[in-house]
Parts: sequence; structure tokens; C-alpha cells
Amino acid sequence: MSAAPGTAASAAALLARLRGILGPAAVLARPEELLAYECDGLTLHRGQPTAVVLPRETAEVAAVVRACNAAGVPFVPRGAGTGLSGGAVALSGAVVIECQRMNRVLEIDPEDRVAVVQPGVVNVEVSKAAAPHGLLFAPDPSSQQACTVGGNVAENSGGPHTLKYGTTTNHVLALELVLPSGEVVRLGSRSGAPAGYDLVGAVVGSEGTLGIVTEATVRLVPIPEAVETLLGIFPDVVSACRAVGAIIREGLVPAALEIVDQRTIAAVEASVYAAGLPLDAGAVLLVELDGPRVAVAAQLERVRALSSAAGARRVDVARDAAERQRFWRARKGAFGAMGRLAPDLYVHDAVVPRTRLPEVLARVCEIGDRYALRLSNVFHAGDGNLHPNISFDRRDQDELRRVLAAGEEILRTCVEAGGVISGEHGIGTEKQDFMGLLFGEADLDAMRRLRDAFDPEHACNPGKVFPTTRFCVESDPKARGYGRVEIA
Amino acid sequence: MIPPAARERLREAAGPEALAEHPPLELEGAPVELTLSPADGPALGRTLAALSELGLAALVRGAGTQLGLGNPPRRADVLLSTARLRGIEVLDAEEGVARVRAGTPLGELRQAAAACGWEPSLDPLSPEATLGGVVSAGVPGPRGLAFGRPRDAILGLDTALASGERTRCGGRVVKNVTGYDLAKLYAGSLGTLAVIEAAWLRLRPLPEATALLVAPLAGPDARTGIEAARLASARVVALADAALAPRLAPTAAGGSALAVIELAGDAPVVAADARELASRLGATAAPSDTLERLRAVLAEPPGDAALRARLDVRPSRLAACAAVLAGAPLLLQPGLASLHVWLPLAGEAAAADRTAGGDPVARAFERLGTAARAGAGRFVVEAAPLRAKQGRDVFGEPPEGLALMRALKQRFDPQGVLNPGRFLGGI
Repeated sequence: MSAAPGTAASAAALLARLRGILGPAAVLARPEELLAYECDGLTLHRGQPTAVVLPRETAEVAAVVRACNAAGVPFVPRGAGTGLSGGAVALSGAVVIECQRMNRVLEIDPEDRVAVVQPGVVNVEVSKAAAPHGLLFAPDPSSQQACTVGGNVAENSGGPHTLKYGTTTNHVLALELVLPSGEVVRLGSRSGAPAGYDLVGAVVGSEGTLGIVTEATVRLVPIPEAVETLLGIFPDVVSACRAVGAIIREGLVPAALEIVDQRTIAAVEASVYAAGLPLDAGAVLLVELDGPRVAVAAQLERVRALSSAAGARRVDVARDAAERQRFWRARKGAFGAMGRLAPDLYVHDAVVPRTRLPEVLARVCEIGDRYALRLSNVFHAGDGNLHPNISFDRRDQDELRRVLAAGEEILRTCVEAGGVISGEHGIGTEKQDFMGLLFGEADLDAMRRLRDAFDPEHACNPGKVFPTTRFCVESDPKARGYGRVEIA
Repeated sequence: MIPPAARERLREAAGPEALAEHPPLELEGAPVELTLSPADGPALGRTLAALSELGLAALVRGAGTQLGLGNPPRRADVLLSTARLRGIEVLDAEEGVARVRAGTPLGELRQAAAACGWEPSLDPLSPEATLGGVVSAGVPGPRGLAFGRPRDAILGLDTALASGERTRCGGRVVKNVTGYDLAKLYAGSLGTLAVIEAAWLRLRPLPEATALLVAPLAGPDARTGIEAARLASARVVALADAALAPRLAPTAAGGSALAVIELAGDAPVVAADARELASRLGATAAPSDTLERLRAVLAEPPGDAALRARLDVRPSRLAACAAVLAGAPLLLQPGLASLHVWLPLAGEAAAADRTAGGDPVARAFERLGTAARAGAGRFVVEAAPLRAKQGRDVFGEPPEGLALMRALKQRFDPQGVLNPGRFLGGI
């Protein structure tokens, strides 16, 4: 007879069973061991797991899932924990299934141009393994030195190069998945044609709620023959956005189109990430072009001309790899630079139609000022993906309240402009109570049908994506967001 | 026969203009006497709610260009047409996005988009094909090499579920992870999970330059095709064997296989790739109707004496797959890792072969299964006479996820209102 679920005896029995499956060294349960797993990159949202397990093989994952089911304890998959929406937080005492030991590149097939990898392989390692064949894995989220392919699949990760190459969903051909029942299935195919319903398409971006990915077959693309990086200095964000609009309207598809606002420039230049940007610049536009050399050379001149016509004070072209890195430092150093201003950094993520960027950015800055916050903007301008960053100190309860209130206003502003509340970070626990801004009950109910077909018991990563309350955010102020943040 | 009271209920739901009674149409073996063509989303929702309530099943149709795709329906009481859900609601030339209603012919969208410098990333075999039909069928056209699959063009979808509830997913922006990506599930579901009402589409800039080329080949060599498909500007690569080549290039010298290649992109790249193909394969400019010919070959019903099947395989196994099917007319699209084959179901070629107990249909399916295994992929019989489909699954062997797919159908359409029986595994 097993102990009743939820009791200390049943927890001990589950731990014993997990140790039996994985060996004692691969099961963490002491409070000090669990501390690091209480949150992911969104440190405001926390949850205490019952245990953290470190499987090495699919069969172990499946056995862990079956053991959890038998004990009535939910489970949550976790990669490197770099997610920014609370997707890897253990709620309801879930067992964290940490996939970082499943870190083998199983196959690089240059003929089919695919890589077969375990979920714990770090994103950048796929490209490293493919490089000798002249190939790379295109999705490159900012955390690519740390984040894992399993996490990328769960979150449908993007990155600065999605404008041209698409997000993770465009690069996953097949998956091996441990279903919430513990059964193992293989979905999709190397040809890219789904066999039946496109279950791979449904699983990518489902935030770890439909099962645990134990193997991914991903598409590899050729390393471009040529890359050119331009840095345009603009008097203001409006003119930088105008240049972006002109570039898109001209039919150019750069690999990246990134804007850094004046507030971020100031922070970057005052930090170790200083990229030599003029402090009086109103905005910086970073454009990366890649492809065949003959095409890139012509595009470079067009982008330069369009930028100047839009009002750029200066347009520099990186002369070598070192200078390219310096240009990118202006963009990639933003998080580090903003992070040093205060103990905590809130990286927001929302999308608006790109023609609405100037007005939305003005609103976002106004909101930040009104709440007296240190807010700055870097964004994937080509696809209208904003990342307002707010530096703050969460121990300051008043500031924390202002951060959360400003965040909500920012999301509402983006939705009112025809946008959405996440472009690449996911919903997780962070934005679940804002889903009502975009979707009605029937829309959410359709999504629940998908969830229920895979996980009728809601055992896999429970408490995510869907609103915690059936009340509409409009009608019930108490139900408004961040219900999980502890504010004294 | 649908009783008069039920007809009245449907007329009330769909709208007085939306119901047409006619002599039975034989659609995939189902004698359908009633066509419902709701004119807007609310009417579509009410129509589906009424069908659910009455326990009736609908065969869902756009322009009907791919109505032959799928298994014969287990049941079909009415034809539910999206023809009146027509029109381009938004064409945003600044953003490069469009909102299009399901029954809009894609030829219309192509024209409107081209007028402002864009093109849809959808390549139907016929300009009459509708947005809803092409997305539901989920099959890429020849330009899929550059465009991807129909699912990749979708930013957001408005759908009506079998219950009549109208739902949406995604949005109008080009990057979005807000909620589950249900559009991926609906695309390619052959209308068995929901009826598409409208879509937000991502458009692509019209290419600066294009070139349409043909090259004679000794045979439909997969390796040659894969190399051509990997050129930077390749957008169509189709290899026809000697039997099909005259259909694509009637004026070319007979007897040899043929490559049809379309290049598109920046002018210097297209020029460089065209030079490369000229020197490597002896490629020359093709008549401008060559792509229409290719699409016609892929769309044409095979008649009563043959079936047409598509195989999706591993690119590196395309040649092995083709070898199993040698002797039958073959069309390879190496950039899509797919191959089309026409297998005889009657006549001399079929009669000569005495395997599989002399049943030519069973033999054709067996051969497709063998070829799919050789290619480490799958087959689907895209078009065949009804008799050849009955009692078989045109999608071949069930895949591993079949139980999940059944569970999905159960959750989305528990009563079996939408195209019951047409999808894989009898879903």
C-alpha cells in the first residue's frame, strides 16, 4: 500500500522511488540543494520543488514521470533555467526534471542538414558541432551560451536573428517526447512533413506543459558566405524606426534590425560594456546583413542610403570581427549594463506592429517616468519586439509595486496598439493573468482542449500559461497579475 | 435525407441565402443534397452549432481544388462551403501583413499583394484555391522550398469549432508566443478540428529578380536536384522523368528527363546561380508557362486507371525511394524532400504484374509502403478513384502519435461534425 498523497510519508516514498530509478546522486532534496531551483531567470516568481532529479536517458525520464504520477505529484521540465517568464518554477510541490545531464549531440547529418540532440545540449553547442560541415543552428536567443535546446523548444525561443530565420518552431523537425502519462512517443519526421496532425508544431512553444522533450531533430542552415554589420547613429528613436520601416518597405530582409534607445546608450557607455557610442545619440540602429557576398554588398549600400535618408547622423560599417563584436556590445551589453544599476532587472517582452513602435516607445518611456523607474529600451525593431528593461531593488516594496504596475500598463499599451504580450519569453507564471487582455474564454478553452488531450490530469508543469482565475482581468482588480509575487 | 424541420433549423442558422438544395452530388462517395454557405463568421458559428445540435456531419469545402485529398468521409450530410467568406480585409503594405477571409481565392491575394510589392508565402496549385483550403490541406506547392509549409505563413487564425464557438489564436504581429500555437494544429488538419474563418498572414517582399530555367537530365537524379535546391536563390526545383518531361516542356527534345528550376532573389545572386546552372547542367531559359504546367501535372486527377501519391522522405534517401518506384512516372522535388508517383490501377501495366494476389490497388499500396520505408518517410495517396481508397488509409501506416491525434479530435469535435473519417487513421 502506498501512503496517501500529500503526506510526509508519501513524499519520502516518492524520494526513495526516485533514488531507486536514478541512483541517490541524481536526486536532490535537501533544502540547500533545492534553493537554486526555486526560480528561473524571472527571480520574482518562486516555488519550492519537492525534489530535483537529474536523469541521463529517456527511459529514466519516463520512469520518473510514472513514479510522480503514482505518487500524485506533478513535475516540471527544466533546462538551464534561463527562462524569463517563470516557466521552470515548480508549483504545487512539483518534482523538477532537470535535463542538463542529457547533453549529448547524438548526430550531425550534413546530407539531411539536421542535428539530433538531447534536450540539455546548450544552444551554441549545436552550431559548434555543425560548424565543421559549414552549417549552423539558427535560433540564437541572447542566453545562447547557457540556454538549452529543450528550453528553446519549450519556449519557442527567438533571438536577434528571427527576422530572417524565424524562431525555434521553424527549425524543429522531429521530437521524442515523454508524455505526461509516462509513455514515450516520436513525433514529426526528418523530411519536415508532419505525419498526421502537426504535433511537433503544437509542442514547440507549449512551455513544457504537454510533455518532456527528450530528443530533438533540428534543421541546420548553411553558414552565410558574408556578414556585414552596420551601426547607425540617430538623433532620436523616431528616425531610427523610420529607417527600419524604409528598409522593410524596400523588400530587404536583414538578419537583424536592432534599436538601442538613448537611456540604454547612457547605461552601456557608463559600464564595462562601453562600445564607444556617442552619448548625445538619441538612438542606435544595428543592422546585420548576411547571405551570398554579391547580395550583401549591394544591400549594404541600400541600407546605408536608407539610414541616411531617414536622418542618421552617421553610419559605420564594421571592418572586422572585432568591430562587429563592439557594435553588438552596444546591443547585447544592455542587460548587463542595466543590471549593474540595481540588484534586480526586469526584462519585459511584448510585440507591436512595427509601424506603431515610435508612439508605443514614447508611451513606454512616459510610463516608466511616471512611476519614477529606471527604464530603458532595446528592441528587435524588425519584428516589433520590445524589451523594456527596468532596474530595481525588489527589497524596496514600494519600488516593486511600481515596477509591477508599470509592467501591466506597458502590456496594455502594446495590446491596444494591436500587439501581443509576449514575443519570445513566453507566458509562464509571469503573464498568465494577462492572457485575458488578448483572449476570451472560448479562445482559452480551445487551448485547454490541446492541453487536455496531452495531459488530462494537468500533471506536467501545472499552473502555467492559463489564467489562475476565471475572472476577467478587467472585472476583478484583485485577480490582476503577479499574484505569485510576495509583496509584504 | 435531412428531415424538413432540420432543414429549416439550418436555414435559420446559416441565413436564408446560405442554404441551397440540389440533386445529390457524389462527393467522395457521399451523396450530399444540401450546401450551406454562411456569409460571415457569426453565421458560420450558428451553422456549426445547428449541425452539432442536429447530429449532422459536414464536408467542409473551399474551392474544392483538393477535395480528393483524404479518406472518403465516414458520413457527410451537408456540404459546408466557405465560398462566401471571401475578401481581403487588411493588406498592410508597411507591415507586410494581410488579413484574409477563408474563402478568398489565393490568386486574388497574390494580385493585390503584388500591386504593393509583396507576395503571399503560399503557393497553391490553382489560383482558385482558397486560403482556408490551402491551409487546411497543409501541402506546400513547388515554391515551398522558399516559402515553407502553409503553416509557416500564418500569424493568427480565426476559427469556428464544431460546437459553433468562434475562437482565435496568434495575432497580427510577426513574432508571438502568447498562448499555444493552435494554428500549427489546424494547418494540415484537413478541416477535421475546426473551420477556418480568416487568417492573418505574413507576406514576403516580391523578389528583385527571378529566372525560370529548364535543363535536360539523363534521369531524375536526386543528388543533382538537391544540389540545385541548395543554391541561395532556388525557389522551385522539380525533376521530371522522361515520361512526364513532355508535359512540362512540350517543345523540348523528347526522351530525356527534365529539371525545372525557378530562381528568385537579389538580382546578382539570381544571375550567379543561373550561370552556375547553365555551366553545370546546361540549363536554359524556360517558357513562362512552365510553372503552370508543373502545377497542372501535380493537380490533375489521375483518372480511373491510376493513383497519384506523394512521398515525404529523408533528403538523403530520396534516390533510394525513387529506385523502388522506377518504371512509374516520377516527379521529384528534392528541396521539399518529396516525390510524386503515378501508379497504374488498370490496363496493361497493372495486369502484367501478378503480385499481391493480382489486386492492382493492393499492389500499389504495397509498393508505396516499400518506397516510403526505403526513404525513411511516409506516403499519402493524394488522388485516386474512390474504389481504390475504400477500405484503406490513404495516409499509410499510422504514425506513433495516433492516440494523441484521436484524443485531439475527441476534444475538438467529439460528435464528429467536421469531415469525419477523412483524416489519417479514420479521424
